[in-house]
Amino acid sequence: MSYDICIVGSGAGASPVAYTLAKAGAKVLVLEKGPWLTEKEFFKDELAISLRDSYNPKLADEQHVIEEEYEDDSGKSYWQGEATSDSGWTFWNGTVVGGSSNFMSGYFHRLKPVDFRLKSTFGEIKGANIADWPISYDELEPYYAMVDKHVGVSGRVVDHPHQEPRSSDFEYPPLAEHAISNWIDKAADKIGYHTMPVPRAVLSQPAMGRRSCEYSGYCSSYGCASGAKGSGRAALLNHAVASGNCTIKPESKVYKIGTDDKGEISGIHYYDKQGRKQKAVAKYYVIACQAIETSRLLLSSKGKKFPNGLANNQGQVGKNIVFSGGGTGRGDFFFDDLNKQQVNELKQVGPFINRAIQDWYEIDDPTFSGVNKNSKAKGGTIDFLFYQNPISRAMGTEWDENENLVWGEQLKQNLKTEFTTYKTLRFEVFNDWLPNDNCFVSLDPDVTDKWGDPVAKVRIGAHQQDIEVGAYIAKKAEKLLQAMGATNVSSSVSSAPPSNLQGGGCRFGNDINTSVLNKYCQAHEVDNLFVTDGSFMPTGGSVPYTYTIYANAFRVADHIKQRWQQS
Amino acid sequence: MELIKSFFDKNYRTPLWFKKKKIKERKSNEQQNINRTAQQNGRRNLLKSAAGLASFAVLPLPVLSQSLAFKNQKKIIQSEPWLTINNVLDHLLPASDTGPSAMDIHALDYLYNIMYVQPTEQDEKDFILKGVGWLNGYAHSQLKKPFIALSFDEKETILRGISGSRAGENWLSTLIGYIFEAMLAPPSYGGNPEGIGWKWLEHQAGFPLPKAGGRYYELPGQAKIKFSEQAEHKTKLQEITVTAFQPNRLALIEKGGKA
Repeated sequence: MSYDICIVGSGAGASPVAYTLAKAGAKVLVLEKGPWLTEKEFFKDELAISLRDSYNPKLADEQHVIEEEYEDDSGKSYWQGEATSDSGWTFWNGTVVGGSSNFMSGYFHRLKPVDFRLKSTFGEIKGANIADWPISYDELEPYYAMVDKHVGVSGRVVDHPHQEPRSSDFEYPPLAEHAISNWIDKAADKIGYHTMPVPRAVLSQPAMGRRSCEYSGYCSSYGCASGAKGSGRAALLNHAVASGNCTIKPESKVYKIGTDDKGEISGIHYYDKQGRKQKAVAKYYVIACQAIETSRLLLSSKGKKFPNGLANNQGQVGKNIVFSGGGTGRGDFFFDDLNKQQVNELKQVGPFINRAIQDWYEIDDPTFSGVNKNSKAKGGTIDFLFYQNPISRAMGTEWDENENLVWGEQLKQNLKTEFTTYKTLRFEVFNDWLPNDNCFVSLDPDVTDKWGDPVAKVRIGAHQQDIEVGAYIAKKAEKLLQAMGATNVSSSVSSAPPSNLQGGGCRFGNDINTSVLNKYCQAHEVDNLFVTDGSFMPTGGSVPYTYTIYANAFRVADHIKQRWQQS
Repeated sequence: MELIKSFFDKNYRTPLWFKKKKIKERKSNEQQNINRTAQQNGRRNLLKSAAGLASFAVLPLPVLSQSLAFKNQKKIIQSEPWLTINNVLDHLLPASDTGPSAMDIHALDYLYNIMYVQPTEQDEKDFILKGVGWLNGYAHSQLKKPFIALSFDEKETILRGISGSRAGENWLSTLIGYIFEAMLAPPSYGGNPEGIGWKWLEHQAGFPLPKAGGRYYELPGQAKIKFSEQAEHKTKLQEITVTAFQPNRLALIEKGGKA
């Protein structure tokens, strides 16, 4: 059968399009590589989520090649690739219906107006390909509000120096907070920081056929069994399917977008669950496979009019991939240093910390050591969190300080001490990953996936400025932990990308020579092809991307709906 | 390919599966639960600097079908290699009033599941079993007795002895890793009966927990991947005898605090 809309992928970039168009009456087909799991199949199972990585392909079957920079004996630098089946470093983030949004933490910070015009605000930075967005915050704002409503965002608006303009309050009241949130607030007050509650894509009350959060204490990285987490599957695809207009085909691996001699799309080619080759045809095509895989699919889709890959006659597909700059840090609270009530507060499991600091979202400081025009630079966000996974926590207790294995009574004592004498508060720093010429996706000439198709090769070069900014903000966060009375305070900022925060590769922009998509995320070179995952972002901002990907996909969905209704 | 004959064989090299497993554990330990996943710095460099991968010989495992294994589980753990493994686990996590023992956490049942139910890599399973032979070979060479016939102090001496070798240390740390899993994984995987490990360590587990039928290898989309991985693996072993590429990673600045 022929569809109105065919969407490749089913995560945060895909689901708003399926939702909007199916509800408008269009016939929508969603092709998803992974299986279709539901609430009944998500457990708080550390083996499944983390140690066995069960929601992603085995790297021997499907992988990436990651190119890193090295230097030879003469000090000359060069790039060398390593297959992830050799390194064990996975770049898959949830290969199931709903994609990685099933496993997100759902820290839903909006971008701020300045993120849409980084270049005009802070100027060029040598070695970085910074570009202003072709739309403004004001154009995206109504769609953030739409995400608040349909995906379900819980939070409260407070007056803080970096509060972005909002057309409405949060749709749902804030989630219950952990006692340590109050400790953070007090210490921040003391040293002149401004904390703010973190909006979460987790329902604080039942709504839209979903249960509210049940406070198991294991949220981030785990699939949600109550439906409270606003994954694309729970929040949007279920409603799209219920409309009767949306068909989801799980375990369908798209390998090529076919084009005819005129350069028009002739169909989407995929392997079905049984491994048979199939083809889907529609009026409009939407690609949203997460940035790296979207670029890979376009590059793999060669045709007579597109010898270098679909929509790639300007050589822009796969270029300017962005991750997120920043790092992590920690401080320990030893129970012996606290009174009984404090220990009880600290040991609480279930409620959310939900605190962030954005006092340095824009840096204005002559002592900042990076590129620093008139003392000003783009900064970032600090978030706080606890780790829960017990097996991972136990790992490491079998080594003594001299790196010798211990066992027997010593091991038991180490375990008891590790688990019952202290708790660690952690923070994460998010800052911009500057797009640059050494961060891009191409097709690997040698390594193929289990179907025999070339895998994506990802060069992961980072700009020095990202490390300077990350380190500057991490120091500020360390100061807060010290003010809270934490010990062993430390942080780590590096140039290695977090593989789950991907954007870029198909920039949107007004110039056909430097962008792949127009402002509606339609390919410049193909009239009925849209890309709606994080690929469109010329710069990513200093927050996790999911909220913005959702909002932009709702915006593009509105545009596709209008075109579909007119046609 | 060289045949490794003991923990002390100079031809032993830490194999790829072991390194990858350690990377996963470390990633899980450092970066779990968060928005920013795996930034693999120190460990990745360590992996890169490790010389020559592989040349790790594989002995064929006695073929044992799963259904047969289930029927005979009780019987099997009365005989080798399970008798020795049971003795080692008991020594690594002994019975005492300081906390649960290997027996209390059902470590042997859990390890049995690792060998015959969970989709564990074949190389790893081979290594666990061959280690039993190497351990008994070493016990014989030192004390003229099999491991299970040794006193507590003799067992300690023998295990200390093998932990001085790379292969011995890897073997013991593999078993200890599974002791941690047996102690702290959801009980449906065969260990941690009634959450005994969680209770001991004052750990509050999440919910819901998987029951039989909902374990990771039973979820939709898992089975076919498992088989293809096993097929892939055979070809891989042939390929990784090349010398590892050992570049000096560009010294990119790492700032922001102490280690």
